[in-house]
Amino acid sequence: MTATATPRTPATPAAMPRHTGRFAGLLDVAAPRSTVLMIVGGVLTLVGAYLPWATFVLNEGPYPEKATLNFFVAPFGVTGFRLHLVILGLAAIVVAALRRIPARHRIVRGLGIGVTVVALINGLWITVEGGGLGAITASEGSIAFGSIVALVGGLVTVLGASAGGLERKPVWTWKLPWWVEWVLLVVLFVIVLLLVAAVLTSGGQGGVVNPYAGVVFLSLLAALGGAFAALNASGLLTWVSVVSERHRTFSVIVLLIVALLLPLTSAGTEYWMTVASNIGVYAATAIGLNIVVGLAGLLDLGYVAFLGIGAFVAANLSGAAASQIGIHLPFVLVMIISSVVAGMFGAIVGSPTLRVRGDYLAIVTLAFGEIFVRSAQNNIGGLTGGANAIPNIPAVGVGDFKFSDSIMIGSLRLPSGVLYYFLIVLLVAGVMLVFAHLKYSRLGRAWIAIREDEDAARAMGIRTGPIKILAFLIGAMLAGLAGAFFAHKTAVVAYDSFRFLESVTLLAAVILGGMGTIPGAVLGASILFVLPEKLREFSDYRLLLFGLALVLIMRFRPQGIVPDRHRKAELTDPDVEDVAKEGPGPLPTRVEP
Amino acid sequence: MHAVEETPRLSTFLSQIANGLVLGSLIALIALGYTMVYGIITLINFAHGEIFMVGAYGGLATLTYILPTAIATTWYFALPIALVAGALVAMLIAVAMERFAYRPLRNAPRLAPLITALGVSVALQEAMRVFYPGATAALPFPNLFVEGAVVIPIGDGVVIRYVGILLVVMSLVLAFGLERFIERTRLGRAMRATSQDRDVARLMGIDPDRVIVLTFAIGGALAGVAGVLYGSYLNNINIDMGFQNGIFAFTAAVLGGIGNIRGAVVGGLMIGLVKALAGQYMPGGTAYDYVWIFVVLIAVLVFRPQGFFGESERVRA
Repeated sequence: MTATATPRTPATPAAMPRHTGRFAGLLDVAAPRSTVLMIVGGVLTLVGAYLPWATFVLNEGPYPEKATLNFFVAPFGVTGFRLHLVILGLAAIVVAALRRIPARHRIVRGLGIGVTVVALINGLWITVEGGGLGAITASEGSIAFGSIVALVGGLVTVLGASAGGLERKPVWTWKLPWWVEWVLLVVLFVIVLLLVAAVLTSGGQGGVVNPYAGVVFLSLLAALGGAFAALNASGLLTWVSVVSERHRTFSVIVLLIVALLLPLTSAGTEYWMTVASNIGVYAATAIGLNIVVGLAGLLDLGYVAFLGIGAFVAANLSGAAASQIGIHLPFVLVMIISSVVAGMFGAIVGSPTLRVRGDYLAIVTLAFGEIFVRSAQNNIGGLTGGANAIPNIPAVGVGDFKFSDSIMIGSLRLPSGVLYYFLIVLLVAGVMLVFAHLKYSRLGRAWIAIREDEDAARAMGIRTGPIKILAFLIGAMLAGLAGAFFAHKTAVVAYDSFRFLESVTLLAAVILGGMGTIPGAVLGASILFVLPEKLREFSDYRLLLFGLALVLIMRFRPQGIVPDRHRKAELTDPDVEDVAKEGPGPLPTRVEP
Repeated sequence: MHAVEETPRLSTFLSQIANGLVLGSLIALIALGYTMVYGIITLINFAHGEIFMVGAYGGLATLTYILPTAIATTWYFALPIALVAGALVAMLIAVAMERFAYRPLRNAPRLAPLITALGVSVALQEAMRVFYPGATAALPFPNLFVEGAVVIPIGDGVVIRYVGILLVVMSLVLAFGLERFIERTRLGRAMRATSQDRDVARLMGIDPDRVIVLTFAIGGALAGVAGVLYGSYLNNINIDMGFQNGIFAFTAAVLGGIGNIRGAVVGGLMIGLVKALAGQYMPGGTAYDYVWIFVVLIAVLVFRPQGFFGESERVRA
């Protein structure tokens, strides 16, 4: 299939899609003027970006100093979220004006949503945290209209784009010489690296001294999300993924190298290395959980217990003073033992799957998780340290050399913790490799078959019992590996790192990212474990927002950010899926069952 | 365990039985909500425990912020008002939850509403912690019933507080009333019809949405009553109480056969007894009493998932 543009001009109202749904009337009215609306929305966004947003200078001086209205202070020098708005707005205008671009409405809608969310986040933050409406209405009577204008701009853009009818995503079939594609991939991956570094460090370290961290981070995330949605709508992302699929080995190697280069970017400080390592731990665990939930379709609500078991085993074999077993084994051996022990527990927890299904199984796993937490809290067998935890776990080291030291390569000084970062990158890469191989193996296909229909899978000759237990066993082993790393990296293992809420967070990471996919699990884990770092200042509301976010994700995008191509039956409504594929056109009215 | 004489040992045992029955009837009251909702839409409403918690806070808020002190300290005014207030708040939250979180997912695959329920649970708990003044720590809750206790003269004496008796009686009366309601009234018949086959029920002129809302409302109200009684009995409430007791109640509902009112009551009483007796007699004492409940839960789900009163034919996937 080649890219086909279906221009929808006001001259041919017959080609207009009829709209259904809540805003059908509004969309029908807007349909003939969709291009104009999109351009107007883009212009409004630009205007909004240049209008003052607050009566005090954002990101400058002590907060909340209501210094001046920075109205046209620097016409071309806007920075931060206003720069993002300018870029998104300009892109919307350009794409809307060029009728040749296929899927133009869909692209602009992505940009418009980005604008809306950025305007909302910053506007809300300014009014809520900047001292109420006073932040927008100054005492001398001047009003900062920026957020309102940009918000309207974003909404108008989305309205215009939706009214114009969302085209099918174009499919590009370009094939370039192999070396061009290699160079392209390297460039793209380096851009991704820089973006990751920018996102990670955006807003800096959250805390009392830096109340901006959370909002700057969220705003950047929203802007990138808008850009990402637009790129995805243009079909270019799909093309890039096809290209990287064509050079699979090369892509994997480049990605790994690029990931190892993170310490050379702006994220190369001890703090960010620690944050990145923690993300790595949860990403590895999330990938393990993804086997159980994403592939085999077995909901596990006590999964973090396996991370805990791995961590406690490692802590006890580390030679820490508080450990019950006074031996100090080499780290590699410790990892293997932790992993095996966690795997054994995984098999035990998984064994009820032989008789229990669905949400009952979820409850059984929750019960196992709670038993683990309670036992760890009560220092069972003296192995967990109870409320005192197991502190002072020695760092991984070879001879006198410790992994927690900073290292010098020539004249280049890498921050301390960087070796742990390298280690976790390799660990995550290994876990990904295991996952990818399993997913496309005979075993993985058996899991997916069980997920889709267990009885049918059994009828096809799959021995469902052992295979389901194997899912738990392998998932738990991966978590155990991560746990061993976690114990040495944080140097303290306490039972309250492994509570029910952590299990829910891991599950949310898998779901948010997209079940059954590797990038999904990593992305989900990154977002859910970076956010708390950024939102320190708002830690009170963090879990509240988290709970609401779970509800909203399930409501509006149950397939996650990176949906699995093969996954349909479990979470998406087949009817809706079909409609989305058919693209524009009169939507069939749903027949009530 | 120390070597003690026969009668004190007996009195300890009987005291634990009494404690178990009081806790058990409380759990039964919460379990009714679980069992009704599961019976009708086969959803494990994880957030039901939080409804119970919210009900307790609703009752406490009425006592502290709305009622004048004179009324709030007179038990025969305060008790019914607090019960009704707790029930109303819980009912409101339950209905809102159904409307905004579960109804849009009515026809979604099973995993979606379960995860939504987890989200609602976390959100409710956190909303309470953030917005209720002082809820970051446990809050004192007044005893809304007559102070004092019945003492049965066996050994060291078996002490049963009046408020404990009230709790047992109220939950039995409410459960009985609920069963009568479901068996005898038109609405009850509509509920049973909806739970058997929603589509056929619709053909018979029943609006399933209304029936489902009603189910959530009744379950929520019962949980709210349970919340106020819990506070009144234990004299303090905290935001974690919902999760723990919710799991216990779920266990009870499964134990009795989910979807079955009598089963929920019997299951609740059994769970209460397991907790009280395990805390007294099992190794590890009270520190591990939760663990024993979870062991019971796993054992029931694995070996008799239809519970003691449930129909065994029901397929659960």
